[in-house]
Amino acid sequence: MAVIGRAEPARRRLPRRIMISQGLIHAFLLAMVVVAIFPFIWMIFASLKPFKELVESRALLPETWTLQNYEEILGRVNFFAAFRNSIVSAVSVTVVSVYTSSVMGYIFSKYRFVGKELLFTIVLSTMMVPFAVIMVPLYITIANSFGLADNLAGIIVTGFYTAFGIFLMRQFMESIPFELIDAARIDGASEWRIFFTLVLPMSMSPMSALAVFVYLVNWDSFLWPLIVLNSQDNQTLPLVLAGLRNLWWTRYEMWAAGSMLTVVPVMAIYSFASRYFIRGVAMTGMKG
Amino acid sequence: MGVWYVFRKTLGKPQFWFGFTMIVPLLIWYWIFSFGPIIQAFRMSTVAYKLLDPTNSPFVGLGNFLKIAQHPLFWVSVKNTLVWAVYSFVFHLPLAMLIAVLLSKVRRGRNTYQALIFIPVVVSLVAVSLLFKMIMDPEVGQLNKLFSTVGLPELQWLSSSSSALPTAVVIATWKGLGFFVVILTAGIINIPSELYDAALVDGTNEWQQFWRITLPLMAHTILLITVLLAIGSLQEFTLPTVLFGSEGGPGNSLFLYNMLIYQEAFLDIRFGTATAASLLQFAFILAISILQIKLIRPSWSY
Repeated sequence: MAVIGRAEPARRRLPRRIMISQGLIHAFLLAMVVVAIFPFIWMIFASLKPFKELVESRALLPETWTLQNYEEILGRVNFFAAFRNSIVSAVSVTVVSVYTSSVMGYIFSKYRFVGKELLFTIVLSTMMVPFAVIMVPLYITIANSFGLADNLAGIIVTGFYTAFGIFLMRQFMESIPFELIDAARIDGASEWRIFFTLVLPMSMSPMSALAVFVYLVNWDSFLWPLIVLNSQDNQTLPLVLAGLRNLWWTRYEMWAAGSMLTVVPVMAIYSFASRYFIRGVAMTGMKG
Repeated sequence: MGVWYVFRKTLGKPQFWFGFTMIVPLLIWYWIFSFGPIIQAFRMSTVAYKLLDPTNSPFVGLGNFLKIAQHPLFWVSVKNTLVWAVYSFVFHLPLAMLIAVLLSKVRRGRNTYQALIFIPVVVSLVAVSLLFKMIMDPEVGQLNKLFSTVGLPELQWLSSSSSALPTAVVIATWKGLGFFVVILTAGIINIPSELYDAALVDGTNEWQQFWRITLPLMAHTILLITVLLAIGSLQEFTLPTVLFGSEGGPGNSLFLYNMLIYQEAFLDIRFGTATAASLLQFAFILAISILQIKLIRPSWSY
């Protein structure tokens, strides 16, 4: 095996100059990692300190460990409802829009019909319009025509299609050969079957990239939920968390506990799916 | 024959029915939630919108645009937003580029470093805002305690009107950097290594390689990032709002343009002027996007 293996430079024989430069690079990157994660570590311990200690002490670790903050915050704020709302909205928007993007990407790349390019251009041009332009008319539509003011569905239906997703999937589907689809047609497969059993499985990689992207954007969405959702039981996590500022003015240990409750579940997912997140972002960057 | 024949033939195709059932929902959805509101926005910007009787809103022409320009905080918000965009570019791009170049050179642990540097991107921006508001509190915050321990002067951070804006952009950079690092690293790794080998044979140093190979070949990615940063900065809303509420921080120093639109629309309930303000933003974003693409597009390729 060793004979046919890829020729890796033996680490022991690295020239001194390269070892030094590699050491410096590691030192710099490690510093960046510390900057990126230290605030979270501070937050973990801050959420376990009583208020007086948090304000006065310089130490990172608490002298008195307490879960009081979590008890108080869970007694006052319905975090579970907020969490459920966030998951329901982000997951449904992600699932539906990844599906619609794949279908439309397929149709725009593999079908021929009158007005196709015009339709595609119009859909894509909506990406250029800032959200602030449509937020008022969109709110009027959601609230008056659909009666979805202060309803989670109001922030879900508006995310069913994304122009960016359609663009991304079209780019990818262009690389699927026509011959493959024609062969399936000759074998008698229906259009539905071709799409679901042939095209979709081939597109898993851009679909997962898009899913990560859409999910990140929606999980963190603030302005549109702020407009649509008013009552606390219907609000998503970012809104409820922002509300802590008014609920506990400068009671930082409560802020820390609330932030922990929203950060920990995301970190848990990220810790084993970070590869997909990073690949997704790298891919969207290259296609865009 | 003719048209009718083509029509019947089309209807008979299985592709037609698949395409038809997929495109019709798309058209309906886009009409209701995208094109419709955009057209509505243009109409709304020319009327004094009456909430209770919208169809009878009086036409005021360009009155809303004049009115928004006279808003006491209009120019403040415009200035703040432009300053934010400039800071955002200056803070993000060089640092992200440096980290990406180093990540592309590191021999072991690249994925681990990337995964760790990416963590702030996945965490909610609201949590990040609260976190830094705590850490940067001038009296009890950990950052000033750290500064005084190592003998640096204690700063006001978010609490003074002169430093609030740059400090907030530092927070935004901390949160967003990993995203751009990942995009840039992916781009640099995709540069063919033959180019660097050839440059090495020619006796260039790493500095020259960066300016002559990496940077020119990354021009498209850098352009993409610049546009993303510019469009994002000009629409910034969440971070300043969570930090200070809708009033925009000490001396309105963090009152950004999108906060002005939000205030007009949903706090002062003036839909006409709010939409007019948003259309000005649209025009501006459109103009700089076109300008940026025209300016930075490289006139050559390898």
